[in-house]
Amino acid sequence: MNDNLYILESLKHSSPIIQLVWGISGIFFIIIAFLIIYLKYLRTHLRVNEKIEAKYQEDYESYLVTYLYAGNDDEAFSSEQQLIINELKKCVADPFKRKIIISTLLKLRNEISGEMGESIDTLFNKLGLLRYSLAKLRNKKWEVIAIGIRELTQFKIKAVHKIIMNNINHPKREVRKEMQLYLVYLYAFKGLEFLNVLETSLSEWDQIQLLEVLQLNNDTQISDIKPWLKSSNDSVVIFTLKLAKVYNQFEAKEELIELLNHKSEDVRINVISALSHLNVFEAKNILKNNFNERSHEEQIAFLKMMENVYEASDKPFLLEHIHHKNSEINLLVMEILKNINFEEFEVNEAELKKPLTA
Amino acid sequence: MNNTKKIVLAEDNSVLSLLLKFRLEKEGYKLLIAVDGKQAIELIEEHNPELILTDIMMPFVSGLEVISHVRNKLNMQTPIIVFSSAGQEEIVLKAFDLGATDFMSKPFSPHELVIRVKRLLI
Repeated sequence: MNDNLYILESLKHSSPIIQLVWGISGIFFIIIAFLIIYLKYLRTHLRVNEKIEAKYQEDYESYLVTYLYAGNDDEAFSSEQQLIINELKKCVADPFKRKIIISTLLKLRNEISGEMGESIDTLFNKLGLLRYSLAKLRNKKWEVIAIGIRELTQFKIKAVHKIIMNNINHPKREVRKEMQLYLVYLYAFKGLEFLNVLETSLSEWDQIQLLEVLQLNNDTQISDIKPWLKSSNDSVVIFTLKLAKVYNQFEAKEELIELLNHKSEDVRINVISALSHLNVFEAKNILKNNFNERSHEEQIAFLKMMENVYEASDKPFLLEHIHHKNSEINLLVMEILKNINFEEFEVNEAELKKPLTA
Repeated sequence: MNNTKKIVLAEDNSVLSLLLKFRLEKEGYKLLIAVDGKQAIELIEEHNPELILTDIMMPFVSGLEVISHVRNKLNMQTPIIVFSSAGQEEIVLKAFDLGATDFMSKPFSPHELVIRVKRLLI
């Protein structure tokens, strides 16, 4: 007791700075103690929630599997299935349980196809979960909208595409991406019609994902890509050029050649690559005639194209550029010359080395 | 003597495991479920199953390691069906190099799986 009084007394008589430091330390101590208690509470709460979630998940998984095997050919829903639907419907009203039900359905929906997959889609509708997914689309938070669209994609809800199309030029890239994937996943090439009205840019990653989803689809009836090649949105044009390459759109040859004079260098480089892939021979002479007016990147793309379509008559043109100041162009020219005439190249090679060693 | 054929299923998706267990047990097989590759190896060593179904991507020990262990360490010729997802084509090729018998790309039809299982266990 005396010790405590002595400490308090000495604190009273100490300098204000020391008093301040003690005061701040005391406040920090209280905050830390409070945070430790709060973290303890939070951890316990999360663990309890995790356990409850695991329990519900187990129950719903069991319900789902039973539901899938309880069907019969005589009626749309067997009595056992109807019982499960009624039981799950009661749970859907609770947001916590609803979240677990949706994640359980998705967990299986992503892994199986065929009749059972369709049966899960039907259950999603029957439980009234579509209403909740659509409500997400009206949410103010962009991440909720994106989740809503993804759910509709995964459960293949085609009927709501008009509502989803409202997000075509949504300010958030993630929402736009989910909308695009929804359309392409469910409507394949027909879904690409959003490109007609897309004002925002399609990132490289978006393009890769769209191509991947398209390739998953068995529908090989590709839409007419020509209007997209004339789009004012450069990213749409670049994506269409990728489509032209992947799906060998030789019919769009004229439109592709026109793009060689596009205002964007990126588009011009991509179109050279597409023309090269499609072996459009006419493009070679056009590019040869205005080679010097083009950027180095375009020249490189053109020479890569020439590697596949060279002729002996190209030799004068190549020799003209054999001393090009850009080493990559230089190398490509030499490679093509070597392919045209290997023996002659050997002679020329010695000559070529002269300026380098001088 | 019990003639029920044993199948080890290595799959980390609990609901898919449950669904396949239900389906294959209905067909008269005994299903032994592992949630990861490590558990699968333990079950294989302990029960010497007639067939192995394994997902490629699993925690701790992957499907490829399971195949390699079965073929190279245990020297077993048990047929192995591999489950793969889109974009895992190269891994599937590796699985075949290691000795996988067949593969199914997810999402797959459980009905088709049963047909393949029956064909391998005739």
